[in-house]
Amino acid sequence: MRTVGGARRGLTIWLVQRAGAVVMAAYLPLFALYAWLAGSADYAGWRGLFEPLAAKVTTLLFFAALLSHAWIGMREIVIDYVHCPRCLGLRLALHFSFAVLYLACLVWTADILWTLA
Amino acid sequence: MPEPRPYYLNLIQIRLPIGGWVSIFHRVSGAALSLAVPLVLYVWMLSLRSPEDYAAVTGFLSGWFGFLVLLGVVWATLHHLLAGLRHLGFDIGWGEGRERARLTAWGVLFAALGLTGLFGLGCLL
Repeated sequence: MRTVGGARRGLTIWLVQRAGAVVMAAYLPLFALYAWLAGSADYAGWRGLFEPLAAKVTTLLFFAALLSHAWIGMREIVIDYVHCPRCLGLRLALHFSFAVLYLACLVWTADILWTLA
Repeated sequence: MPEPRPYYLNLIQIRLPIGGWVSIFHRVSGAALSLAVPLVLYVWMLSLRSPEDYAAVTGFLSGWFGFLVLLGVVWATLHHLLAGLRHLGFDIGWGEGRERARLTAWGVLFAALGLTGLFGLGCLL
């Protein structure tokens, strides 16, 4: 019988979380600078920030990094706090639920970006 | 007489070192941001959908409640980002000594609060 618990995939997941962290740490200040240089705070200016293809692609990549990072982070929290004699199933169910939620959020992000002009 | 050692983890009596506080705030801010993702996406979607929805979002964020929520999200993001950079330093072996680790912990705590304050002032002015 196979076991699904344990820490076999820990190092890969750790590395994915770091990669996502670096992507976000690069995107956030660069986007803040980009928005600041663009300079207009009205609706047209705000919408215009996300209309160039490069902005859409980098913003979608940012959200992919954020959502994978959040998924791994919630896994850590579930592993730390959800404990009982037969809780492995519950932990897996929570982990799966967050996967579904965050995949849905990624598709939603793509929809938000690509329904702009 | 030596002080009696604690026999259990009483959260009121435990004194965390500053790195412990930064660590727990890192976890709390990360969990809060993770759970807030759908809400943030919803508000972002509204803000881009039409001029009327954009006005509704900016109106909400300028009210006292919306402004507090905004400051909370900004603080959580800044604290998580800065504490995360500190951890990336640990990953490559930078800043693991006690003195430097304490210094960077204080730095993260105050920089996140200070930048949140500056952001809030920038919004009000």
